[in-house]
Formats: sequence, C-alpha cells, structure tokens
Amino acid sequence: MGESKSRFKKMLTTEFYLLIFLVAILVIMKAAAPDFYSVNNIMTVLNYFSYLLIAAIGMNLIIITSNIDVAAGSIISVVAIVIAFVGKTGAPLPVFLIAGMGTGLVLSWLNGLFITKLNIPAIVATLATTQLFIGALPLVVEGSIYDLPASFTWLAFQAKIFGVIPASVAFAAVITAGFMLFMRYSRFSKKLYAVGNNKHAATLTGINVNKMMVLAFAIAGPLYGICGTIIATAGQRVTTTMGNGFEMTIIAAVVLGGTSISGGSGKIIGTVLGAFILSLITPAMNYIGLSSDWSDAVMGAIILLAVIVASISTLTKNKKVIIVPDQGAASPEAQAQTAPVGTAAPEVK
Amino acid sequence: MIVKKKIALVLVIALALVTALSFGACSSGGDSATTDEGTPPASDDQATEESTDTPAAEKVTIAMLPKFKGENYFDACKVGAEEAIEELKASGADVELLYDGPPQSDATNQNQVNILEGWIAQKVNAILVSPNDPDAIAPTLKKAQEAGIKVLTFDADAAPDARDLFINQASYEAIGTGMIKAVADKLTEKGYGPDKPANLGFVSSAKTDANQKAWLDAAKEVIATDEYSWLKIANEETDVYYPGPDETEAQKQSGTLISRMGDGADQIQAAIGLTSMATPALGAQYEQAAKKPDASKVTMTGLATPNALKDYIKNDSNPLDSGVLWSCMDLGYLAVETAYQYSIGTITADSTTMTTDRLGEREIANKEILLGDALIFDKANVDEFDY
Amino acid sequence: MESNMETLAKPRKRSGLNFNIALLVILVALILIIGIRNPTFLTYNYMMSVVVKNIMEIGLMALPMTLIVITAGIDLSVGSIMIFSAIAGGMVAQSMGDGMGILVTMAVGIICGLANGLIIVKLKISPLITTLATFFLFRGIAKGMTQGDSVYSYDFTTAVGNMEFGGFPLVLIVFIVAAVVFTLLLSKTAFGRSLYALGLNENATRYSGIKADRTLIAIYVISGVICALAAYFYLGRFSSVKFDVANSMNLKVVTVIVLGGTSILGGVGDMKGTIIAIFIIAVLNSGLTVMNIPIDVQTIIQGTVLIISLIVYSILGERAKKRRILDVSKAGGPGSGSIEGGAAQTPA
Repeated sequence: MGESKSRFKKMLTTEFYLLIFLVAILVIMKAAAPDFYSVNNIMTVLNYFSYLLIAAIGMNLIIITSNIDVAAGSIISVVAIVIAFVGKTGAPLPVFLIAGMGTGLVLSWLNGLFITKLNIPAIVATLATTQLFIGALPLVVEGSIYDLPASFTWLAFQAKIFGVIPASVAFAAVITAGFMLFMRYSRFSKKLYAVGNNKHAATLTGINVNKMMVLAFAIAGPLYGICGTIIATAGQRVTTTMGNGFEMTIIAAVVLGGTSISGGSGKIIGTVLGAFILSLITPAMNYIGLSSDWSDAVMGAIILLAVIVASISTLTKNKKVIIVPDQGAASPEAQAQTAPVGTAAPEVK
Repeated sequence: MIVKKKIALVLVIALALVTALSFGACSSGGDSATTDEGTPPASDDQATEESTDTPAAEKVTIAMLPKFKGENYFDACKVGAEEAIEELKASGADVELLYDGPPQSDATNQNQVNILEGWIAQKVNAILVSPNDPDAIAPTLKKAQEAGIKVLTFDADAAPDARDLFINQASYEAIGTGMIKAVADKLTEKGYGPDKPANLGFVSSAKTDANQKAWLDAAKEVIATDEYSWLKIANEETDVYYPGPDETEAQKQSGTLISRMGDGADQIQAAIGLTSMATPALGAQYEQAAKKPDASKVTMTGLATPNALKDYIKNDSNPLDSGVLWSCMDLGYLAVETAYQYSIGTITADSTTMTTDRLGEREIANKEILLGDALIFDKANVDEFDY
Repeated sequence: MESNMETLAKPRKRSGLNFNIALLVILVALILIIGIRNPTFLTYNYMMSVVVKNIMEIGLMALPMTLIVITAGIDLSVGSIMIFSAIAGGMVAQSMGDGMGILVTMAVGIICGLANGLIIVKLKISPLITTLATFFLFRGIAKGMTQGDSVYSYDFTTAVGNMEFGGFPLVLIVFIVAAVVFTLLLSKTAFGRSLYALGLNENATRYSGIKADRTLIAIYVISGVICALAAYFYLGRFSSVKFDVANSMNLKVVTVIVLGGTSILGGVGDMKGTIIAIFIIAVLNSGLTVMNIPIDVQTIIQGTVLIISLIVYSILGERAKKRRILDVSKAGGPGSGSIEGGAAQTPA
C-alpha cells in the first residue's frame, strides 16, 4: 500500500515539475516576445501540438505495456499516401479519415501480432517493419500526389471552430478527454498497467498478456491514422515521406511526459504536457530570436533534464525501501511474484 | 542430436531466405527497368550482357542522380530526361538512362554516394548529379572521373574541380533579381516603398544547399542596391528558415513564418520560398492560418513548379501571387543531351557551343551551360504549364 | 561465482555457433548470387574500396554496441556521437591546428560516452531513454555549432580516411584489429563474462561482487572512443560532414546487431555474429546498388532479411532460452525472476 502511495506521489511531482516548466516557458515568452501570443502563432503551435499529441497518446498505451513502436512514423507516411489516393477522387473528410484510421489499424495490429506471436522484442520488430513500410511507398507512388481537390484540404483550410481554432485541436481535445476517462475508469486500462508492470504476475491473475499488447498496438494504429490525416491534409500535395522520423518526436513526448519506458506507469496528462512543451520549442526559439538550429539540442536537454529530475526524486524516495541498487521500483514485486518459478525450475530438470 | 536438427533447420531457412532474396532481386531488377521506362528487359541483365558479349558496342549509359526522389521538381526533370532518351533512340543511338536517388526524408550525401559507387563500378558512361552537399560529394565524383566517367552536374553544382560540366538552369542573379522584383512590385502596389520599408522572410532548404545559398546571396545583393534598399532582412538568424528538404518540416516552419507576417515594423511583409517544398508550404500554411495576415498588406512568392502553386495563385484572397522557375523538363532534356554528346565526343570540354533538336544552340562558358532565363508565372499564364 | 559464469555461457555458445553458421551461409550465398549477376561486384577493387569501405564506420560502432546490447542496454546515440565528435574536431582544427582537432574529437567521444554511462548507471535511467535524449542533444549541439553547415576535413583526417596499402584501406586494418580485440574481450576475459551476467540478471550479478557500475560505465565510454575513431575516417572519406547523417546511422547499427543474433533483451549474442552481420549489410548495400536495384527496394530487402532472421532467432531461441533459464535459475539465485519477466514472454 505504501508503495502505491509513493508511486502516486512520484507521478504527481513529475507532472507538477512539467507544469511549472511549461508555465515558466509561457511567462518568459510573454515577457520576451509578446508577439508569440498572436492568434496565428498560437493556432499554428496548437495544430502541431494536436497531431503530435494524438499520436503520442497511442504511443503512450504501447509504452505502458513495456513495448515501444519505432514504426509509428512510417505508418503515418503510409496513411498519408493512402488518404491522398482516396482524397484525390474528391471523397469528403469522413471517408478518407476512416481509410486512414483503417490503414493505421491494420499496420499497427500487424506489428502487434508480429511482436507477440513470434515473441520478438518490440523495438527490433518495429524497426524491421519500418523498413518494409518506408521501402514500399516509393514503389507504389512515383513522386508525390499533387493537385488534390479542395475537399482534401478542407480540414486544414476551412474547418475552423469559431472561425479561428483549427479542427485538429478539437480532434485532440476529444481524443485526450476520452482516453483520460478510459484510462481512469476502465478495467482494460488497469490490465494494461498490470501487463507493463509485470507480465508474469499479470498472467497469474488471469490476464491474457499477448492479447493486451496486440490491443495496445491496435488502438494506437487509428490514432496514427488521425495524426497522418492531419499532417497530409496540410497542403495540396502529399509526398511519400511525410511521417518518416516523426516517431522519435512522438516517443520523446511520451518520455518527457513521465511515462517509464520499462512499462507499467504513465498518465495521459503527462503526455499532454510533454507534447505541448515539445511543440513550443522551435517556434519559441524563433520568436525570441535564437536560430532554430539549436532546437534539437534544446529538445534533447529538456528531455534529459526531465528524466533526471524524475529519477532523482524516485531514487531519494526508494533508497529507504530498497537496499540493493536496482533499476526500478517494480523489481521487488517481480522477484516475489516469480519466485515460485525460480524454485520450481530445478525440479523440472 | 538436437544440435544437428537445429543446424538443419537453420540451413533450410537460410536457403529459403536466399531464394526469396534472389527472387526479390530478379523482380526488382525488372522494376527498375519499368521505372527507367522504355527498356523492356531488366536493365541489369542488359548491362551484364553488354559487358560480357559485345564489349565494343556503342551503347551509352547515362546515370542520373537527383537530390531526392518523390517530389514534383525532380519528377519533371526526369520526364524531360526520358524525352531526350526517346529522341536519341529514335535517331538510332543506343542509349540507356539509369535514374535513382535518396528518399526525400533522408536526402543525405551518404545516400547519394552509395548510389554513385554502384554506378562507378558498372562503368556507366556519364553521371548527371544534383548534389545535396557540393563539397562532401566531391571525392566520390573525382573517383568517377578517374574511372573515365564523364561527370556532369545539373540543377545544383558541385565543387568545380570535381565535375566536367554544369548544366545550370538560370543564372543565380536572374533568379535572385526575379524573386526580389516580383516581391517589390507587389509590395509597391500595397503601399510600401522607400518611406515605408518592408521586411523579408525566406524559407530555404538545408544550409549546405549550394543553390539556395547562391540565390539568397543574389537576393541580398539586389536589396543592397539603392533601388530596393527599402527591402530588408531584419535578422538573418531568425528570418531565414532552414527546414531542410523534408516536406513536413517545411510546412511546420512556414507556418511559423506566416504567423509572423503582418504590416507592423517588427513583422514580416514578404515571404519568399527558396525550394519547391517551401513555396507551396507557404501557400498552404496561409490558407490554414487562423487569422490570415491581411492579403492587402503582405505578399509571397518563391520557386516551385506551377502545378504545386496553381490553386494558391488563382485564389485572389491568397497573397501568393507568383512563382519563379525554369522549365524543369527542358533542364532534364538538356542535361541528358549534354551528357550524351559529351560522352560520344560531339562536344568536348573546350567546346563553346552545343546544339539540341528541341532547344537549339546553347553557349558553353566556364564549363557551364545555361538553360535560359528564369520563368515568372502568375495568374495570367499559370495554366499554360503542366508540371 | 566464476564457475556459475561458465554454466551461463555454455548454452549460449552452442546456439551462437549455429546462428553464425547460418549467417555465414547467407553471406556467401549473397556474394555468389550478386557476383554471378554482376561480376564487377567480385573485383578486388570494388570489394575493398566500396563494399568494405562504405560500412566500416558502422562496423566499428557496432563492435562496442554489441557489448552494450549484451548487458541489455542500447545506445541510440552512436551516430550522433560520431558526427558531434567529427564536427567539433573539424572546427577546432580549422583554428587551432590538427593536433587539437585530433584531441578534441577523441575528448568529445569520451565525454559523450561517459555522460551516457553516468546517467544510465548513476541515475538509473533506462539506456533507451537516456540515449534517445542524448541522440537529440549531441546531434543538436553539432547542428547548432555549425548552424547546419558543413565542417571540412583537415590534413590528418584526410590522410587516415584515404590511406591504402595496396588497395587495402587503413580503416579495414583498424577494423580487423578492433574486431579481434573485441572478440577476445568478450569471449576470453572475466570482463566479457561479467557483461553476459549483467545482461541476464543485473541484481544477481551485483550480489556476486562484480563492480557492475564501473563495468557498465566502461562500455559506454568504450563506445564513445570507437565513435570518435570512426569520426576520423568518416570525415576524411567525405572531406566534409554535416549533422544530418546521424539519424540513419543509429538504426543501421542496431540493424547490424540484431541481425548478428545479439538479443536486445541482453545476455545472448557474440561478437562473431555481429562481424558477419556487418558484412551481410555491406554486401546488401553495395551489391544491390551495383545491380541497379532502386534504393527503396534495397530498404525492403534489408527489412525482409532482418524480419526473417528475427523469426529464425525466435524459433530457435525458444528452446535455447528455456534451457538457459533452467541453468540460470540454478545459478542466479534470488533475482532470477527478472529474466522470466524480460526474456521469456508468457506463451499465449
């Protein structure tokens, strides 16, 4: 019980630090570059934030189950091309959005199956499928798909709430709210955390671990699809590489948000803050008058700082509980849970 | 026993893998032939046949390497290159075109070098390259020259000592002046001038791109003259964006630039896209902007293919009114013609002119061939182009 | 404890041998197929100056990376460290001479590796996250320092990058020496065995009295040193570099490691597999290019090879793994649970 309480405290502080940091950036920007708060810039930032966040929520689910998905960017590229094919016919947003989500679902689901059925670590499995997805696109499309009709760019060009807020923000808001409720109240989410915490223990309590992992990928897929749709509809031309490399930023947003890569922890609110901070960096530097050449370095430093702060606060707390230097708080549990196997094994032999 | 079984299993799978691979190689060999168009049998088969059976055949293989594949600009160049090949074949020449390039998201020198090495080993007759990094590619180009391959650059130049000829689309000055003039005319219409100066913003490519660098320098020279001294780049650190060749990044940074536009002295009045990714991105991001900068106070232009800008130019509420380019098809055509004529010796490094069926006579000066003038298109004539 | 280590290593060696034979068969088959379809591929000149030379930087970085992955770690920042150290050295050499350039490159490599190691070990942050962050950080500093522009080679790097002995490139000699050293380090020394132990069960290894922290930090520093070494050759070979090559390089190194049969979960793998895998990737890269196979198809083929090898490892690994866990649970003591959780996922 004390364990879970301290973990709750830890989560609170991670997000708390992030929030303070975020507010600090916003205040500094107010003082240093008031123009930063022009309606236009805010909306540009929010649009980027929206599609980064939507994909990051999907990634967050995957990371909670202690997997990772480096194929996210390539799936987004595939989605962009698929919806461009559909959108070229003049089909309206709902049609190609569904096509995009379907594409995301199928590809990500396949990734999930690949990982669980063959028992291959997620990072290498998705690394391999990335190469298939990225390599296949230029063979299907020679060059880019351009001259897309007005119906294709409707989402980015016309769809504005109250005439100013891009519709992508509404997508992100609805999805975020939905997932926050879902993660808080559904039994499914408890199982996700359980799988990430300790697969073996989860199996013992009757959870189908593989099914949960495939489901996490399958849920992330349509979210990548929505993200890909927002990215692709930004202009009248879609190229074959629109999402390539984006997975690094998505993972960074999740990690910055306090989700542990070893699984079993992480909240949507953290991801929201992480994605928001990342989407501020480049424009903020530009408005302050710094060259955007430094934005990658700043981004790396912020992620590093965030995980170090989170780690130090955990370490100082855990020192009282754990004597053996250890990688994470979950391990004592792991040892306790799997002890029967360890003792049973010699008998089998 | 178990070990033996395992070895057997491994071997079976390995063999399956290898067979699968060779199949993949066969089918993709055919694939490259179809993308290269017009050579029905697999191109690599031809190459091997050629090298083993008929060593002295007059066949000329021209290998073309764009900065990256999958974007209108180089696609249009490729169309022109293929037309030149068709024309040459129709006139009885035995000529083949190889075309490959890095993907747009990974348009690095390393990828270009990998492709070049393959061509050098096959001893193609001529290499046409548009380098991503003029200096870093130079050692590889020199290696090609040492192997007796004619090395030509098109679209963007490499270090001059690493290539034989450069097929330049238009002089840097012409493009710089063209862009500044287009912007200045529009801004004058909108009430700017010597007593109401205007700020310029640029969206470039990567810092190492020779063209963008040269065009920006040319533009800077033009605004340093008295006539255009009311045009300014307020802060080169922040007002020139370098998103690289990546489409999504170009969109993102163009969006930031658009949000900084307006008629205030600390805002930007004119945005210029220096790449065929950036200019359409400016148009699209303007359409997307929540509170569009007043179109009667700002203007935009830049380099891009007409197809990519058509809708924005025709849309009166979008301040993207004109585009600057040259005929990409003609550039591809001229590049291949030059490579062919240079390979068979019709022209040499000392020639001062060359002629092609389609384009007539072109001058060769300082190891450079100039395609022609920059083409400025606007609402009136944008529909005349289709590339 | 030493004897326990031996039992740990044994089953790995047996299965490792099989994998390596399979890899070798693939390598030879690839060389033959490509060689038959295009004889230029088999020429000494092409083999040396293209096939081998183009992979050497990746090959060098894959050697220490194998050590890291065996301890269940990963280093996503190797490409960034290489580019950062090359660029820092190149910039310093411009103003302060070659000597300083050489020193700075090496110093940057060591500092970056040390930073990774300290953060991972002392702050207990997972290697994946740490190196993801430093991937952005190191590449970002390289980009910021150069403002995205190129940095040029200096006399020393130009010399080492292009030096050949009868068509035999210097970089290959360096690679062979490094490969031998790393193979011996991993298979013949107590240090090497402790890496396997750390990868299989870090807790038990700590109990056993191995200085785990020092060992782990050491391998990240070694990785940094090798990255700096690769930087000299890379800068010399291309005469100028810029920041953007880091991305694709990281994933290539990981691809090599995985293809070589080293388990990303730690504790399994050997140096020979990595070395063969380096040449498989080299042959695929340069061999398919010489056959005029478009770069996109090459990506697919590389992905397919990776997927098939993963499937093979997965099928064959099941049995080896089961046996290993039995051995470990006998040897490892109290902490054996964490292997269960990590390596052997529960069957469906």
